[in-house]
Amino acid sequence: MTEGALAAIGLAVLQAAGMLALAPLLRGLIKKMKAALQTRQGPPLLQVYYDLAKWLRKEPVRSDTASWLYVAGPRMYFATSVAATTLVPVWMAAAPLEAAGGVLALVGILALGRFFLATAALDTGSPFGGMGASREMTIAALAEPALMLGLFTAALSAGSLNLGALVRGLLDRGATFHPSDILALAGLFIVVIAETGRVPVDNPATHLELTMIHEAMVLEYSGPDLALVEWASAVKELLYLTLLADLFAPIGLATSASPELILLAVPIWASKIFLLAVAVTLVESTNAKLRLFRVPDLMAVSLGLGFLALAIRFL
Amino acid sequence: MAVYLTAAAASLVLARRPRLCRVAAFGGAILGSALVVALAVSVLAGGPVSGRLGAHAASGMTFGYAVTPLAAWFLLVLGLVAVPVALYSIGYLAHAVPGAKTAMVGASFNVLLAAVALVFAAADVVTFLFAWEVMTLSTAALVATEHEIRSTRRAAYMYLVMSHVGTGALLAGFLVLASASGSLSFEAVLAGNVVSGWWRDALFVLFFLGFGVKAGVIPLHVWLPEAHPAAPSSISALMSAVLIKAGIYGLFRVCAFGLGVPDVNWGLAVMAVGALSAILGVLYALAQSDVKRLLAYSTIENAGIILLGLGAGMTASALGHRELAAIGIAASLFHVLNHALFKGLLFLSAGSVVMATGTRHIEELGGLIRGMPWTALFFLVGALAVSGLPPLNGFASEWLTFQALLMGFASLPGVTRMSFPLAGALLAMTSALVAACFVKAFGTAFLAFPRGRAATDAHESPAVMLVPQGLLAALCIGVGLFPGAVLRTIGTVMVSLPGLRLPRDAPQATFTMAPGPAGFDHVVPLALGLTLMAGLLGAALLAAARAARRVPTWGCGGELGAATEYTGTAFSKPLMMIFKTVLRPTREVEALADVSPYFPREVRYRTAIEPVFERYLYGPLTSGVLGAANRLKVVQAGSLHAYLAYVLVLGVGLLIWLGGKR
Repeated sequence: MTEGALAAIGLAVLQAAGMLALAPLLRGLIKKMKAALQTRQGPPLLQVYYDLAKWLRKEPVRSDTASWLYVAGPRMYFATSVAATTLVPVWMAAAPLEAAGGVLALVGILALGRFFLATAALDTGSPFGGMGASREMTIAALAEPALMLGLFTAALSAGSLNLGALVRGLLDRGATFHPSDILALAGLFIVVIAETGRVPVDNPATHLELTMIHEAMVLEYSGPDLALVEWASAVKELLYLTLLADLFAPIGLATSASPELILLAVPIWASKIFLLAVAVTLVESTNAKLRLFRVPDLMAVSLGLGFLALAIRFL
Repeated sequence: MAVYLTAAAASLVLARRPRLCRVAAFGGAILGSALVVALAVSVLAGGPVSGRLGAHAASGMTFGYAVTPLAAWFLLVLGLVAVPVALYSIGYLAHAVPGAKTAMVGASFNVLLAAVALVFAAADVVTFLFAWEVMTLSTAALVATEHEIRSTRRAAYMYLVMSHVGTGALLAGFLVLASASGSLSFEAVLAGNVVSGWWRDALFVLFFLGFGVKAGVIPLHVWLPEAHPAAPSSISALMSAVLIKAGIYGLFRVCAFGLGVPDVNWGLAVMAVGALSAILGVLYALAQSDVKRLLAYSTIENAGIILLGLGAGMTASALGHRELAAIGIAASLFHVLNHALFKGLLFLSAGSVVMATGTRHIEELGGLIRGMPWTALFFLVGALAVSGLPPLNGFASEWLTFQALLMGFASLPGVTRMSFPLAGALLAMTSALVAACFVKAFGTAFLAFPRGRAATDAHESPAVMLVPQGLLAALCIGVGLFPGAVLRTIGTVMVSLPGLRLPRDAPQATFTMAPGPAGFDHVVPLALGLTLMAGLLGAALLAAARAARRVPTWGCGGELGAATEYTGTAFSKPLMMIFKTVLRPTREVEALADVSPYFPREVRYRTAIEPVFERYLYGPLTSGVLGAANRLKVVQAGSLHAYLAYVLVLGVGLLIWLGGKR
């Protein structure tokens, strides 16, 4: 094995560990800000960490109807989220494992995790699991084309579908602004809201039977199984926000592996994520959850924005 | 060839002893298919092989075969699927088909394989059309295996009618080409310079119709969802994996590379039909609860994906982008192989389920993962592959299709190129819908509570049926992990085709796929797989703290069981509602109550989707044809004198016309 490959693996492990460590903080932050907007005190910033630690120590309780798939579901979901982090540039203008694949691999990996979690949800025989899985797959099917179109626009303007090369292409071009960026950003932001299960598409705080989507799908999980699911979801959310930051404001990413540049890149990244988190919180606090059958309209808007952005950019 | 025919004959001879007959017929088929694989490999490694089957001295016609690299690729696909399917059939037919019919099925099976092989290898029009017809007829015989059932007879009839409409179009097309070129050999007929102008467009439409029927693309697909489920499962596997590919082969051979440099509009038309087939195919698949019908519609969807790649390639080729064209064609050829592998696997697994439970209806199944763990595992592998998820083989070819579409956008001029990312978005939607569809199929049939005695008592299939499934599953995983090796083989096919050039700086390593100009994109599925393994290991370590406790699922105070679990129909309901303009679902709910309407004794629920194409396209078409035939009845008076008069008029007319020409 060459030195370069070893270095890439080392970086991948570091980046995955970093994302795993910071993802719960993002969740806690959004909860805290939401509470502030509702003039509540809210849970402590680190509550998500406490929860994860508690669940990991507990005894898992599993349905006796369920098969091995039920156990495999959260593990696969966790594995795909962690693997996905290695394909995205976070602090450096290169993804650690960018040699393994680009945008399409990233979307495919995340879809693999969703497939397993949705299948596992059907395994207990509880109607909630089926309901959640059905809705999750429905929304994913509607969000996927909009997501791809948004990513394509960015990829085509940078001349690469590989996220590392894409971000470097954007950086090389310098801080040019194109009006189509606004449309593309708006389109992708809607998709990110949908994919991370936020209001107005889904409500992460609800446990009311008829409104939950993602929560219904993972309702039966407990203990370490639940910890894996929640942690992976948090990582996925951080990952999507990072992706938005990468595509529309790549400035500040470390262009080489020098420690000073990386040390500088981390706070810049953190402030970008903070701004996006504020946006997510504002959207979540000022909107009501949509009826399930209104979600397609939202996704159609996102798809339309993506297509318009592409058309404006290249025609 | 000879092996197939011998096996067919042996099958008929041994008709009275089903067991021996099965072994002889399918053993022969395995041997023959292995030989086909060997031939294909030797052609792909060495060079084209050709020869003569026979000659007719009086007319100076020769019947020959010529295995070009393109034909070899399709032969390879045929052989790779036929070996496991034949092995599976030995076990499957012992249960699914009564002894008396075994001989017929065994013989037709071999004749079909021989005919498809000859379709791929034919070197002249007559041989091709002969093989094409034999292929159609033997398939019809296989579809009609359970001919006691009315719907099966209808399916076989519909298949025959549609196929002959297609063959009619092909015959007309080939006649025009042959008379224009003055020869019957493919080399002359398909040289690409035989006709020009609007004749070329007309011929393209004719051939596209003719081959499109076999390929099962929308709107020519109506026979497919009837015929696939009606046939015994191993035959369905063969039909979906191989027979459909005969149509695709024709599209490649004639429409893309046989009529000269394709027109831009042809490429766009192929892409449009591909996108339509992909998205509608999967939407119809979602609406099904018969597992084999669901798989049949999924076949239509995959034919659409194959056409997307082909169309992108043809468009690029028309505009002179030879490297770009190569990517589209490669994606298309790659998906031909992948679809054959995973759909063959899925049909075989479905066959095991049908054999174990006696029903194709997934709403009567459930919980099969306990009784049939291996079948469940293999079906899951097939489901992951068909959904285009990494690191399985479906991902590899869909990835390449995306590349063709996106690079097409990047390098083509004008408004035309906007259709490429649009097709890309549709492809993304298709694969997400396929995932939903197969979560539904797998979850409903294999997980949670069994919904009846058949599902409770289901037991695993014998090894002779599991081993072939394992083989195909291993191929799905292997091809997915090492796509570069497959692409190299496809490379040798593409060098032989006109108008294509292999992308120069694309690294062709065994693990990697890259479509062209370095830096655009590349993928190493093996690395993705290893990363996933690392992630799984991490998850296992994190969650290994305590042993699990098993309790019944919480039912909110009630008791959960088969009646309360989520059904497949319910699972796809939201998507049915969202796409109601396309699917036009109807439902009927009937509650029978004794005392109060709030406590129904029995609820009957019926749901259906409107067969749009059958009703609005084929309905008027059929009645139009029948009406025209009715009016023509006047001419067919049945009187001998009238017929004699026709002959006289025609003869005199011809004489005048010919005399006038001189």
